[in-house]
Amino acid sequence: MRKTLIRLAAPVVLAGLIGAACTTADDEPDATDAVEESTDEPADEPADEPADEPADEPAEEPADESADEPADEEPADEEPVEEVQSGESLLDTVIANDSVRCGTRDALPGFAVLTEDGDHVGFDADFCRVIAAAVLGDATKVDFIDLETPDRFTALQSGEVDVLVRNTTWTASRDGGEGATFLQPNFYDGQGMMVSADSGFAALTDMDGVIVCVAQGTTTEGNAAAEANRLGLNWEIRAFEDVELIQQAFEAGQCDGWSSDRSQLTGLRSEFPAGPDALTILPETFSKEPLAPAVSDGDTQWAQAVNWAVLATIQAEEFGITSENVGDFADTTDITIQRFLGLEIAGDDGAAVLDPGLGLPTDFGFQVVSQVGNYGEIFDAHLAPLGLERGVNSLWTDGGLLYAPPYR
Amino acid sequence: MSAVTVWLRRNLFRSPVDAVVTVIAAVVAGWVLWRTLNFVFVTGRWEIIRVNLRLMLIGRFPEAHELRIAVTVVSLSAWGGVLAGIVRARQVKAGRVDAADTKFGVRRVADLAERFWIPLLLVVLLLALAGTVGPVIVAVLSVVAAVIGRLIGPVIGRLELPAIGRTVLVTVLLAIPVILYFYVVTAVGFDDWGGFMLNLFLAACSIILCYPIGVLLALGRRSTLPLVRVVCTVFIEIIRGAPLFVLLLFANVALGFFVPESLVPATSTRAIVVFTLFTAAYMAEIIRGGLQSVPSGQFEAAKALGLSPVRQTFLIVLPQAIRNVIPAQIGQLISLFKDTALAGVAMGSFELLRVSQAITQQDDFAGQGLIGETLAFGAVMFWAISYTMSRESQRFETRLGVGVR
Amino acid sequence: MTTAGARVPLWRDVRVLQWIIQLVVVAAAVLLVFWLYGNYTENSERLNIPTSFDFLDNPTSFEITGNDLSQNAPVRDAYYEGLLNTLRVSVAGIVAATVLGTIIGIGRLSQNWLVRKMATVYVEAVRNVPLVLFLIAGFLAIVLGVFPQIADAWEPLGLAVISNRGIAIPWYDGAGYGLLVIGLIAAVVAWAVSRWRQVLFARTGATPRTGLWAGGAFLAVVLIGWFGLGYAWSIPEIDGRLTTGGIRIDPSFFALFFALVIYTASHIAEIVRGSIQAVPKGQGEAASALALSGFQRMWYVVLPQAFRIAIPPIGNQYLNLIKNSSLGAGIGYYDLTLVTQTTVGNGSPAVPAFGITLAVYVTISLVTSLFVNIANRRFKLVER
Repeated sequence: MRKTLIRLAAPVVLAGLIGAACTTADDEPDATDAVEESTDEPADEPADEPADEPADEPAEEPADESADEPADEEPADEEPVEEVQSGESLLDTVIANDSVRCGTRDALPGFAVLTEDGDHVGFDADFCRVIAAAVLGDATKVDFIDLETPDRFTALQSGEVDVLVRNTTWTASRDGGEGATFLQPNFYDGQGMMVSADSGFAALTDMDGVIVCVAQGTTTEGNAAAEANRLGLNWEIRAFEDVELIQQAFEAGQCDGWSSDRSQLTGLRSEFPAGPDALTILPETFSKEPLAPAVSDGDTQWAQAVNWAVLATIQAEEFGITSENVGDFADTTDITIQRFLGLEIAGDDGAAVLDPGLGLPTDFGFQVVSQVGNYGEIFDAHLAPLGLERGVNSLWTDGGLLYAPPYR
Repeated sequence: MSAVTVWLRRNLFRSPVDAVVTVIAAVVAGWVLWRTLNFVFVTGRWEIIRVNLRLMLIGRFPEAHELRIAVTVVSLSAWGGVLAGIVRARQVKAGRVDAADTKFGVRRVADLAERFWIPLLLVVLLLALAGTVGPVIVAVLSVVAAVIGRLIGPVIGRLELPAIGRTVLVTVLLAIPVILYFYVVTAVGFDDWGGFMLNLFLAACSIILCYPIGVLLALGRRSTLPLVRVVCTVFIEIIRGAPLFVLLLFANVALGFFVPESLVPATSTRAIVVFTLFTAAYMAEIIRGGLQSVPSGQFEAAKALGLSPVRQTFLIVLPQAIRNVIPAQIGQLISLFKDTALAGVAMGSFELLRVSQAITQQDDFAGQGLIGETLAFGAVMFWAISYTMSRESQRFETRLGVGVR
Repeated sequence: MTTAGARVPLWRDVRVLQWIIQLVVVAAAVLLVFWLYGNYTENSERLNIPTSFDFLDNPTSFEITGNDLSQNAPVRDAYYEGLLNTLRVSVAGIVAATVLGTIIGIGRLSQNWLVRKMATVYVEAVRNVPLVLFLIAGFLAIVLGVFPQIADAWEPLGLAVISNRGIAIPWYDGAGYGLLVIGLIAAVVAWAVSRWRQVLFARTGATPRTGLWAGGAFLAVVLIGWFGLGYAWSIPEIDGRLTTGGIRIDPSFFALFFALVIYTASHIAEIVRGSIQAVPKGQGEAASALALSGFQRMWYVVLPQAFRIAIPPIGNQYLNLIKNSSLGAGIGYYDLTLVTQTTVGNGSPAVPAFGITLAVYVTISLVTSLFVNIANRRFKLVER
């Protein structure tokens, strides 16, 4: 009888806990026991635990204190005044840790896959390296952290990763609601539809009463549904967690269409077992998918550093600097290139290098290009083999969208 | 009638109904067997496993520090050997096993082979797949170390040690795995571990960490103090009522919110926290069952001896309680071990299942539909370990039963 | 006791100590909750993430397969649908797993060598592999490997359409609530009829035939309601690449159902085997002595007693099955978990969203175990 009573009481207590406190207490009760023995005051728990963390250098101020101080003494003497920032910048933390924690993924051909040795290769992985090369001067100092689609933003919010380069679409509600700040897109994509060549579909409007398969937890899912509504078509949308599962389902004829970013579709098509000709990517692009690196909200300094690291690859391509020929520019007289590569510029009062005050080393442009390469090189290494054209991802000089603000 | 026909009639064709059942069963069995063999030997493309074997076993563990894993494996084998030797020697001394049983001989080897042929076969298979010398050397050294340990063990076990000596011995034995853990972890933090090693580590770590919490919860739930009982019961019921998968998902996205900004745990730590709390709640119920099985006379006797309540519990009752439910605890360990695969799905933790999915997208293998092969490999790994553990548990159970009755 | 000297000092008074211990434990628990809650509000504020449940009114912006919930429906509707899906697969899975588990459990004790061995191999192979592997393997091997494409779908008797796009079966046409009401009325009528037969039996001693009468009454009411309210059967047909009519069981449902049943049945089989072995041997022998057939012996004598022993552990397996249904998220089955995961991925705050889900699962579990306990007590009482 009593057992039943307790069983009945439990949901009530639980509801009370959740309703009133808006939190679930079932989370950390191993600490219950710790608290039980040690102390009644939880106040010193957070205080003494950071002490044995390795990162005591940057974390001089505990989080709770620095939250409302706009600028504390330390950054104040080296930072330009315009930086309105609460607490320390991630930039300092990254430099102190001597490693960039880059949120990425491990199973998207072209963007980031694992080699047999466990290295990450791909377009996004290279942009992680670009950031490390720019900030730390060493492209190998990246700590790749693989994230699942649903928790990529929480990883960013909670500070588990410093930057997210995980082919993530920049949308307004993500910018606003997810506590993320999106930066210069490194790839302009759009959602498309792939069908099997013998299906007879030539345009989206042919596809009525069909099953469309997508990856779950992405913008693709909503986009496809919205597009079907817009065109007045009956699409049944099936979401899968894993690309491999979609492929299997598609091959088995469970899906009529496979909707995803065109870049992904192109990659998947190029490696399709029955050959790329067995598949057709329909001409329509029904969404804009600017894939951009993202950092946590409220850290302007770190955001600028990452942004300029990405822009450096674009700028380098515009200058025609590649990882092969970057050495030849050591004695260039072009002042814009000198600035970009952090070379000494002869002036009236002796030689100087340009330091725009981004908090990056003055030669970050050189490091990025020499260690990783310019945008075109990165693209050619990872995306061109999948059969992707540069398209809108060309330099503005070639009619594309890539345009780096002047470096001066 | 020959013996075969007799056997057939007795076991397969007792009655017409039985015969029909047998035929249907044979067809089903034949189909499954044929499909399996066909997959393993004909249609399966196992190149992906061979190439990625390292990734599947130890993940992205830096090559420079691989030696530390090798040293750990060999040391643990020796440690296991010594432990087994000591236990056996003590059992012989206590007269619980027949000394003749422990004699080294064909029977004993056959017995060991019968018990461990599955993991052994798996190891041989893995070594063959690896194709390099390093793992073979480690395996050989491990076997040698285990045998030497097993030979030294009884000598230590037979020693008549004073109390201090015994304490030192126990401490040293307990310290060895801890030292080995730190030996590996100082070079490569466990956040960078992966593959099957991570599955084993998560399970081992959580089962050890859950014990103190589980015991306290079990005692709390049986406590005569109503408030303590309520707190423990609510915790246990909430954890047991929630799916582990959802707890993992929740911890993955939300654990960071509940700790100060500077303490945000990494993926493996989050997984360990969840597995520990989850297993602790189940362990609490198992131990509670054990506590109920201890006759109240034991309590009364302890009380009559004038022991304090704390001593009654920890010296008299708890040891018996835990011993009574050892099989259930091993069962929980097995299920925890299998559940570690969820860390990959829910958290993206780089354990075996996650590796299996990730490697299908490698440049060389993408689009070929190899997920069946990689999953099958993962299943075999999990199965071999779990099955061996559960058989050992059953063996232990029977032995325990014999001892009690 | 009245003299001050005989009084136990406060720090050794058991009652005082007990109260202190309790207060310390509760205070620690409360402080811990407050600490966690404080961190949570602070972190949420810092990251500008809402802590309220307002997100439930936002549009979902995703669609749930096999449901006509629009993208503009509020998140709370999606939660509701997710909960229904969880319950659907759980109930179906529990029924099927019980049947399969019992068959295999009996099979493990069969006198037929082949059946016995197959049951053993099944149990040992399935029990020791993580369920999540079965889920993906089941989807690949059964849904994609065995089921035909829609173009050459199986259509048994023209009543159902089975393809890898789903299993469409005949279903009623009309409002579901009406049928529910009819069912309830029929149940009440059947109950009344059975009471009447019992009373009649007590008074006159006429053969009661309660089951027949009650069943007949139930059927009669249902048929009257069915035709009276104009219900009709809807038979599924292939329409291009989809099916129309009937009701379609989603392949992801099937894969999850399949994996749950296979996995849980292996555990139930072991419980059934153990329980059958726990039934005193004399019971079976007595049944044989009464010249009951093998089936009768099992069905009327051994199994009822075995199930009495098996109720608590099987109830535990039911709980596990319900909880394991959350894994359906991996193959795109929109249960409560996947709804939560997707809505969090679309920007709903994680802690409140998962808080609701956890609360729902815990409630389901507690209610289920309450039922199991009630069942256990009822059947125990019969025994004594």
